[in-house]
Amino acid sequence: MANEIALSHYLILGAILFGLSIAGIFINRKNVIILLMAIELMLLAVNMNFIAFARYLGDSAGQVFVFFILTVAAAESAIGLAILVVLFRNKRTINVDDLNQMKG
Amino acid sequence: MGIEPILFYSFATVLLVSASAVITVRNPVRAALFLVLTFFASAALWLLLEAEFLAVALVLVYVGAVMVLFLFVVMMLDINLARLREGFIKFLPVGLLIAVVMVAVLVLVVGPEQFGLAKFAEPARHNADYSNSRELGLILYTVYVYPFEIAAVILLVAIVAAIALTLRHRPTTKYQNSTEQIAVQRNQRLRIVEMPSEERK
Amino acid sequence: MPLIFTQLQLALPEIVLLGSTCLVLIVDLFVSERSRGITYILAQMALLAVFITLLATSVGKTSDAFSHTFVRDALGDTLKLFVALSCSVVFLYAKNYLKTRDIPFGEFYVLGLFGVLGMMILISAASLLTVYLGLELLSLSMYAMVALQRDSVTASESAMKYFVLGAIASGMLLYGMSMIYGMTGSLELATINTKVLEHQHDIVMMFGLVFVLVGIAFKFGAVPFHMWVPDVYQGSATAVTLYIGTAPKIAAFAMLIRLLVDGLLGLQSEWRDIVIVIAIASMAIGNVVAIAQSNIKRMLAYSTISHVGFLMLGVLAGTPEGFASAMFYTLVYTLTALGSFGMVILMSGYGFEAEHLDSFKGLNQRSPWFAFIMLILMFSMAGVPPFLGFFAKFMVLKSVVAIDLVWLAALAVVFSIVGAFYYLRIVKLMYFDTAQDSHSLEISTDMRLLMSVNGLLVLLLGLKPDWILDLCIRVFPLA
Repeated sequence: MANEIALSHYLILGAILFGLSIAGIFINRKNVIILLMAIELMLLAVNMNFIAFARYLGDSAGQVFVFFILTVAAAESAIGLAILVVLFRNKRTINVDDLNQMKG
Repeated sequence: MGIEPILFYSFATVLLVSASAVITVRNPVRAALFLVLTFFASAALWLLLEAEFLAVALVLVYVGAVMVLFLFVVMMLDINLARLREGFIKFLPVGLLIAVVMVAVLVLVVGPEQFGLAKFAEPARHNADYSNSRELGLILYTVYVYPFEIAAVILLVAIVAAIALTLRHRPTTKYQNSTEQIAVQRNQRLRIVEMPSEERK
Repeated sequence: MPLIFTQLQLALPEIVLLGSTCLVLIVDLFVSERSRGITYILAQMALLAVFITLLATSVGKTSDAFSHTFVRDALGDTLKLFVALSCSVVFLYAKNYLKTRDIPFGEFYVLGLFGVLGMMILISAASLLTVYLGLELLSLSMYAMVALQRDSVTASESAMKYFVLGAIASGMLLYGMSMIYGMTGSLELATINTKVLEHQHDIVMMFGLVFVLVGIAFKFGAVPFHMWVPDVYQGSATAVTLYIGTAPKIAAFAMLIRLLVDGLLGLQSEWRDIVIVIAIASMAIGNVVAIAQSNIKRMLAYSTISHVGFLMLGVLAGTPEGFASAMFYTLVYTLTALGSFGMVILMSGYGFEAEHLDSFKGLNQRSPWFAFIMLILMFSMAGVPPFLGFFAKFMVLKSVVAIDLVWLAALAVVFSIVGAFYYLRIVKLMYFDTAQDSHSLEISTDMRLLMSVNGLLVLLLGLKPDWILDLCIRVFPLA
C-alpha cells in the first residue's frame, strides 16, 4: 500500500459513489424517497471530485463550486420534498407504479 | 505506513458501506440515517483534503438541516413499506450490472494512469495557521459575488415554492386566538338587561 | 477590472428584474383575492422594465464582468429580448385561464419571473458555475410551477417525474463539469476553450463532454432524455405547459451555445457525432410517436422533441451560419409554440380543458377567424411554404448541406414530411369535421387581439423573414 494518497484514489472513490447512486436509482425506482436520497449520493460524488481536484490543482475555485452545489442541493431537496408531500396528499402513496395517469 | 492512508482507507470503507446501505435497506428511516453516516464519512475525507469549511458545512447544513427534513417527511407520510419494496429483487440484477459497468469504465477513466501521483503530486500541507474559511471567505464575497447573489435568489425561490406548495388556507377551520380571548371585556360577553318585574298572577 | 459601477451597469437588466420580482412578491401578499389583477399588471411591468433596460444599456460589444462569471454580448442581448417578449405573451395568455382555476395566481407570476431571471443568468453565463446556477434557478421555478395545481393528481405526478429526472440530469451535468474542471483547472468558459486544445483526444475530456451533453439533451428534451416531455406537457395546467414549452427553449439554446461553442469548441469533431445521433433519434421518435397521440398537449410535446432534433442540425454544422440558423429556428419555434399552446388555452372554457384533439373538430363553424390562425400555426409547424416555419427548416438544411452532410439533410426532409401528417390532421378536423360543441368561444379582447397578432406574425414574417434572420446572423460573427 502506497504511503501517499494520489488524486486517483479520491476520484475512484467518487466514481464508485456515482455508480452506487445510479444503481440506487435503478433498484429503487418504485420508491421516490429513496430516489431522492440516491440523487443526494450523486451530488456527493460530484462534490468529492471537485474538492479533490481543488486540492491537487491548488485552486480554490473547486471548493467554491462545492459551496454552491451544497446550497442549491439544499434548496432542491426542499422543493422535491414539498412536491412529494403534495403528491402524497393527492394519491396517498409514493409508489412510482401508482403514478400511472399518463401514458403514450 | 503513515496515518493518512489509514484514515483514508477506513473512512472510504465506511463511506462505501453506508452508501450501499442507503440504496438497499428496507426502511426509509434507516436509509436516511445511513445517508447521515455517509455524509459524516465524507466530511472526514474532506478534512483530509484540507477543505475544512466545506466539511463543517456538510455536517451542519446537510446532516443538521437537509437530512432532518428528509426524516421529517418520511415520518410524516404514512408509507406502506411492503409495497415499496416490491420489485426490489427484480431490478437488483439490472441495477448491479449497470453499476458495475459504469464503475469499471469510470475507474479506467479516472484511474492512476490519468491522475496518479506521477501526474499530480500530492501538494504540501498548509501550515497550522492556515485558515480555509478565511481563504474561501475572501474570494466568495469578491470574485464570486455574482454567483453568491444568484444562490441567494435560489434559496428565496425554494422558500416561495415550498410555502406555495404545502401551505393550505382552510377558511372553514376554527381555531383559538388566545390574545383575543384574554383581552375580552366583560361587556363583550355579558349583556345585562333590565326588565320590569312581572306581576304575579 | 472595470469599476464596480460599470459592472453593475452591465448586469442592470438582471438587477431590475430581481428588484421588481421581489416587489411583485411582496405586493401579492397584501392584495385581496378580488384585486389579483394588480399582480398581473406588475409582472408585465417588470418584463417591460427588463425590455427597456436591455435596450438602454446595450453596448454592442462583448464585455464581461464579475471576474469572468458574467458576459454581456449581442447574442445574449438578443436572446434576452426574445425571452422577455415571449414570457410577456405567456403571462397574458395565462391570465384568464388561471383566474378560472384553482391555481395560485400570484405564485404563478412570481415563479414565472424568477424563471425568467434564471434564463437571463443562463444566457449571460461565462463560467460553468453560472451556467449551473442559472439552470437550477430556472428548473426549480419550473418544478414548482408544474406542482402549483395542488389538487390535480396528474399535475403532482408529472411534477414528481420532472423533478426526479431533472435532478438526475443536473447530477450528470455536474459530474461532467467536474471532469472538465479537473482537466483544464478553470471554471471560466473562455479559459476552458483555450486549454481544451491541449486535451483534444483525452479520454477524461471525452467523458466530461458526454456527461455535459446528457445534461443539455435533457434540458432540451432530446432523445434519449425526452421521457419527461410528454408527461410534463400533458400533466401540467395548460398555462404552465405554455410557459415551459416556449421561453426555456431559448435558454436551452443559449446553454448549448455557451457550453459547446464558448467552452468546448475545440472538441467540435468529438461532439458533432454525438449531436448527429441525438438529432436523428429526436426527429424520428418525435415525429412518429406524435402521430399516435389523441391529446393535443401530448402531441405538441412530441412535436417539440422533433423540432429540437431539427434545431440541433444547425448546431452540429458548427459554422457561424449553422449557429445562426439554429437560433433562427429556436426563435421561430418559440413564436409558433406560443400560438399553438395559446390556442389550447383559448379553446378551454370555464371548467373545461380543450386537451383532446376532438375539441378542435369543426372549429371553422364556431370561429372561422381562429380556425384560420390555427391553420397558419400548424402549416408553419409542418414547414409548408411560405410560412415562417418553412424558412427556419430551409436555413437549417442549407447549413447542413454546406458541410457536405447531404444524407442527413435528406433524412431530415423525410422526417418532416412524416411530421406534416399530424399537423394537417388538425387542419382537417377543423375544416372538414362537424363540431361536437356548438357554443361560440368566449374570449377576452386582449387575448383575441394578441392571438391574432401572434398568428399573423407567423404568416407575415414568413413572407419577409430577412429581418429576424439578419438579427441572428449578426450575433454570430464570422470566425
